[in-house]
Amino acid sequence: MERIRKNLRIMLLAFEIEMRQNLTDGFVVFGILIQPLIVAFMALWMLKGKGPDYAIFVVVGSGMTGLWTTLLFNGGNSITGERWNGTLEPLVASPASLRIVVFGKVLANVAQSLGSMIGSYLLISLILGYPLTLERPVLFVISLFFTVAALVSFGLILASFFILIPDFARMVNTLEFPIYILCGFLFPIALLPGWTTPISYLLSPYWAAQALHGAAQGSLTTVQIMGDWALMLAFSLAYILASGRLYRVILRKARADATLDIMGN
Amino acid sequence: MDAIIVKNLRREFKSSEGIVKRKVKNVVAVEDVSFEIRQGELFGLLGPNGAGKTTSVKMLTTLLIPNGGSASILGMDVVKDANKLRAHIGFIFGGERGLYWRLSGLDNLRYFASLYYVDSQVAKKRIPELLELVGLNGRERERVEGYSRGMRQRLHIARALLHDPEVLFLDEPTMGLDPVGARELRTAVKNLQSANKTILLTTHYMFEADALCQRIAVINKGKIVALDTPGKLKENVQDLSVVEVEVYGIPPEYIEKLKRQDWVVEVSLENRDQVQVLQVHTPKGAEAVPVLVENLNGLRLGKIITREPTLEDAYVRLVGGTE
Repeated sequence: MERIRKNLRIMLLAFEIEMRQNLTDGFVVFGILIQPLIVAFMALWMLKGKGPDYAIFVVVGSGMTGLWTTLLFNGGNSITGERWNGTLEPLVASPASLRIVVFGKVLANVAQSLGSMIGSYLLISLILGYPLTLERPVLFVISLFFTVAALVSFGLILASFFILIPDFARMVNTLEFPIYILCGFLFPIALLPGWTTPISYLLSPYWAAQALHGAAQGSLTTVQIMGDWALMLAFSLAYILASGRLYRVILRKARADATLDIMGN
Repeated sequence: MDAIIVKNLRREFKSSEGIVKRKVKNVVAVEDVSFEIRQGELFGLLGPNGAGKTTSVKMLTTLLIPNGGSASILGMDVVKDANKLRAHIGFIFGGERGLYWRLSGLDNLRYFASLYYVDSQVAKKRIPELLELVGLNGRERERVEGYSRGMRQRLHIARALLHDPEVLFLDEPTMGLDPVGARELRTAVKNLQSANKTILLTTHYMFEADALCQRIAVINKGKIVALDTPGKLKENVQDLSVVEVEVYGIPPEYIEKLKRQDWVVEVSLENRDQVQVLQVHTPKGAEAVPVLVENLNGLRLGKIITREPTLEDAYVRLVGGTE
């Protein structure tokens, strides 16, 4: 019990430290607020012939792009930041579990990126004057909770590769747009070739986008949305369980390969 | 009782060269290093850059896994018991990295205290005490990016002491500090030893090792080439004198020629401002001066002195002798 309390304290402090560091970083503010607004603006333009219902689709979709971009670049890059600070080694050499620290950091990034959705909502509703209504607000809020869980657990796995591979930051650039497309953030995956569908099903952000879009537009039944929650929960649990072993293996390999003090690009 | 036992420790790194035809080779950084450090002892690991000091410390602080040999601290193996061991050791790596610059000194300490499972009530009491100890009280709410190099280094010390570790590793802690800052830090290290901490200090400053350490291991090219008290190490060169000659732009062939002389034991060259100081270790003492001047014929010479050997000369002999 005492151990759990102390780990919770570490997680909350990691969350707080990450939040405070991010708020002084211009790129993070861009990723959370500016980029999703640009995406929202372009998407609205592309979909303007589809009627006013599409506005809420764009709010949710551009918010999801902000969530994913923040998770990908800030969540993972926070490990790169630790390398540059020279704090990755002190973190690893401390008795605290690095997985708990990373969990707190990723959670902070995902929580901050919820601002993307609020920003898109304000732009589309107040500035551009589209009428926005959430068809199923309770289901939407619960879906958002599962989305955060799904993305944080996914981010936990993603961050582990930043620990092992100093140059991993460069590789993740290629993951930004494919996930937007494969997960149906801004248009349905039915528009994609059939062979890509199984890939979408394996990605928890796809189920998050489906639940959020479905609840926001009222296009899915309660049972269908609950099915999405179940899948997000299953993915989250699988990722968290896998992360225990993964972090042990990766940390041992990083200590064997001497990659902890390499700055990377 | 020994707090640290190191047996035949070895560590290699992979190094690659070439782009198209990439060749990967293994570089040995630490080769067959063994020593023991008694509980409460301040032990120095002295060596030139690239000798294997930091690699040794990283293996002992669980950050690197050795390729061979073993090491245990307080009876815990650095590989098998790494998680358990981490709560009992603290470390400082030289330089300014290792802190969150965009946070205050206080926030850095709060965060690291939690990482070491220091109870929040204990941390509330200990952090002000440590700030007082390292002379940062009153500045703790300022961002670290505004600290001087010396202040950052002192914050490192406070960070390393948060969990009151029994064993401390100080890897070139005075690197880059001004003379006053370095002296203050040495005083802090002395105080830590008085508090019965076991300390392994790495440095390439001879006088620092001489002033602080009870025993010194000299490491060169990954191997321990001598291990003794500073006094005993100096005794190794007591039969010699050192002739120092100020020279201006000495060509390498002169040094090579000197090294071949039967009355010369070791030759080193040091740059001091505009002048180079040639140091010749010889059993002949002052009698060597005329012969030395003859060997430097054609060069512009400055002051010439003959003096007793120091720990630095012992070090030069040990390190230079293996090259």
